[in-house]
Amino acid sequence: MASIGVQDRIVFQNVSKFYGEVLGINRVNLSIPAGITSLVGPNGSGKTTLLNLMTGLLQPSQGSISVLGISPTEPGQLFRRAGYCSQFDSFPRRLTGYQFIYGFLRIHGFGHPKADELTWQSLRQVKLEEAARRKVAGYSKGMRQRVKLAQAIAHQPDILILDEPLNGLDPLARAEMISLFQQLASSGLHVVISSHILHEVDLISDQVVLLDSGYVVAEGAIRGVRDEVKEHPAQILVRCDRPSQVAARLFQEDHIVEASLHEDQRGLLIRTRDSNRFYACLNRVVLEDQVQIETVAPADEDVESVYQYLIGQNGGAA
Amino acid sequence: MASITPVIELSGLEVCFGRLRVLENLCGSLSGRAIGLLGPNGAGKSTLIRTLLGFHPPRQGTARVMGHDIVRESRVIRSLTGYMPENDSFIADFSAIRLTRMMAELSGLPPRLALERAHEALYYVGLGEARYRKIGTYSMGMKQLAKLAQSLAHGPRLLILDEPTNGLDPPARRRMLNLIREIRDSGDVQILLSSHLLYDVELCCDEVLILKQGKIAVYCNLEEERKANMKFIELETDGESAGFLEGIEKLGCECALYGGRIKTVLPPGIEIRDLYKVAADCRIRIRRLDYKRDSLQDIFLKAMRGDEDGSLQTQV
Amino acid sequence: MAVYKRKFSPYQGERTPPWSRWLIIPRYAYAKVFASRITTAFFVACFVWPLICAAVIYIRYNVSFLETFGLQLGDFKGVLAINARFFLNFLYIQGFLSFLLTILVGPGLVSADLSHNALPLYLCRPFSRTEYILGKMLVLLILLSAITWAPGLLLIGLQTSLAGLGWLSEHPLVAPALLVGSAIWIVTLSLLSLAISAWVRWKPVAAAALFGVFFILPGMGQIINVTLEVDFGDIFNIIMVFFTIWAWLFQVSFRGDLTLVEAWLALSGFCGLCLLILNRKLQAYEVVS
Repeated sequence: MASIGVQDRIVFQNVSKFYGEVLGINRVNLSIPAGITSLVGPNGSGKTTLLNLMTGLLQPSQGSISVLGISPTEPGQLFRRAGYCSQFDSFPRRLTGYQFIYGFLRIHGFGHPKADELTWQSLRQVKLEEAARRKVAGYSKGMRQRVKLAQAIAHQPDILILDEPLNGLDPLARAEMISLFQQLASSGLHVVISSHILHEVDLISDQVVLLDSGYVVAEGAIRGVRDEVKEHPAQILVRCDRPSQVAARLFQEDHIVEASLHEDQRGLLIRTRDSNRFYACLNRVVLEDQVQIETVAPADEDVESVYQYLIGQNGGAA
Repeated sequence: MASITPVIELSGLEVCFGRLRVLENLCGSLSGRAIGLLGPNGAGKSTLIRTLLGFHPPRQGTARVMGHDIVRESRVIRSLTGYMPENDSFIADFSAIRLTRMMAELSGLPPRLALERAHEALYYVGLGEARYRKIGTYSMGMKQLAKLAQSLAHGPRLLILDEPTNGLDPPARRRMLNLIREIRDSGDVQILLSSHLLYDVELCCDEVLILKQGKIAVYCNLEEERKANMKFIELETDGESAGFLEGIEKLGCECALYGGRIKTVLPPGIEIRDLYKVAADCRIRIRRLDYKRDSLQDIFLKAMRGDEDGSLQTQV
Repeated sequence: MAVYKRKFSPYQGERTPPWSRWLIIPRYAYAKVFASRITTAFFVACFVWPLICAAVIYIRYNVSFLETFGLQLGDFKGVLAINARFFLNFLYIQGFLSFLLTILVGPGLVSADLSHNALPLYLCRPFSRTEYILGKMLVLLILLSAITWAPGLLLIGLQTSLAGLGWLSEHPLVAPALLVGSAIWIVTLSLLSLAISAWVRWKPVAAAALFGVFFILPGMGQIINVTLEVDFGDIFNIIMVFFTIWAWLFQVSFRGDLTLVEAWLALSGFCGLCLLILNRKLQAYEVVS
């Protein structure tokens, strides 16, 4: 196994995982830098397999993995630096929130005073201090989710692997946790999140990994990924008072592929092969022709659209 | 029309579990094609839904659903309502068609009509051949669709959806949200949507009721909120933006940089074209220009953080 | 030409009468029950003993039938005595078979609805918990009636037609005893199986628990008897309770340790407990403490 000692990335080299005959993931190559990386894909696409491989809960059928230079075959070393929050909602019985986190910290090897301090710190970060002394069995779904997160961050890891971490959280808690992730990511952590809520993925991720049926379909910053999908010209939505006039002007450019008028007579959907030239042209038209612009927005630069293009309607198991 | 007659009227509704007051003094009149129900965990959303369905008797006060009293005419309400519970709800060894049929019959439809409408509902939600398989074998997305079908088959006038996109992957979420909007737009059913995802509520609902600790924190009309936000603009530019920022500040716009985007408020007299002029002068391109679209996020956060005594702010 | 777009439409048509809706439950349940070959075969097998009894009654009054085999009636006087004890034995056997049938059919009735939280779907409709329980009970009541008092009354009818109305006036209590005895047995069986499957929610465990109530609980009763040196431990023995009550109904002697009052109290206790459990466990929503 060639050593892939890249110290600041999570690297997958030609990794495949099969469960008997069934495919988990096949020939995956990834290099994940610091910041927030989101894993996106339909159910059955291999997201959970990928996360389990990253944490060493599964061994690859083939290929090698290195997490910040550590191999997942050394869990003792790996879990010192990695925190994991699973998607499953089960806990050891009869523990309070405090005990749950404290217990794991002691297992990590922290002495009592340090473990206590770290426990309260993580509880503060997820805003669960008041409920810490109550049994986890009595928590609401959102609180259980937060105590899981607290457990993952308590030992101040360098890598956070979170499987659907916002599941069950109300909007306020979502916003708070998102800002927590952003805070952690900006202090240099590698945060890997698996999520189904694409508009949130858009909001918070620095890069995205799209999976479909066990293959990585795309990875990278979303704008870069979009630009590479050349079979689909960029779609841009413009709302103004004279869309047909704007369209007529735009058609004089050679990079415009299509312009469709919305039935409300104020919307114009443009497809163009070169979005930079389009914007330059639009800016000119607005000034020269005295057009009243309402909004201009790329219609398909988000994760949702890229997902549609690359993975499509069906994606994964029906 | 749906928006004139209120679908839910609350008059001092109070619900207690033992000594714990879960819902307190809820008053108001909800109308609109689709009403969003939001609130933190424990705010009383599910309790409110169950009370309207007659599962919990109120300690004090009352409420009316589609004009019927929730205590005295509970059975009438339940025959006019369709409910999609939040958690998994199915009979594992029934097929989707069998379950939907039985539920339609229990709602009062004659057997042959129940079978017809069950098939219609299953077709409408998009469950094809799978409807003949046992629900225990379904994926999460299909189970949710089956739940939606059983809530629709008897043709209710009010549809109560509790976290309908729970556990769904992106294509299934899209399908569900599109379905909900289709149902809303058909004009014959009113929807009460309870969700944690502001995105879903913003997409589907006209009005929003936000609960906090058992009381109403906010009740407002989203359409009007959006119209009020038209002076708030979000921009994204290509190229060096420092000069641009200076330029528009000179015009009198207050600006803030946020995640690569520029948020600004247009002062009176300044138009969007003026922003374009500044951009041309600075030789940069405006890539994105849009009204602030997260009105619901703001409304929600304001409701949670401000106003501790929880008095009703009806902004309809 | 026309294009038809799929559309959702509210329902304005006629509705079935509310009082009849609880019958929907048995209708759907029977489709499932008789889809199982084992259950159907067993159900049919439960009619074997009534047929044998019918044959015995026939033979009793057709001595010529015996004589073709060269036998005399006197040889079988004991066995062929058609009296209260005959029908009590009939009830013993059919009662046991109905217990087995309940184990086959009962647990699946409610646990299927509870294991995946389907109850809110029932109760969010114009349908109450009472109608739900009655509907589920009717499934068992009909099945069990078909193998207990229904063939029993037919046998009494056969006996009366062969032996004449005189027999009926000599044994006036047999028909009501059979009816009442069967009724309380099948009602108790139904309540027990529904309550247990509502509590336990998992079909195989519910079946085992039902077995346990009948065969293991008496053991506990014996332990109480021995350790506390009393003799009312038998109130935990359902079988003993019923033997006592049936013996009284048929006016046949039975030597058990329970008095009649204790037996009736125990029976009410069992049924009351079942109703309490059903009330607690059948909720429209999951109770989170």
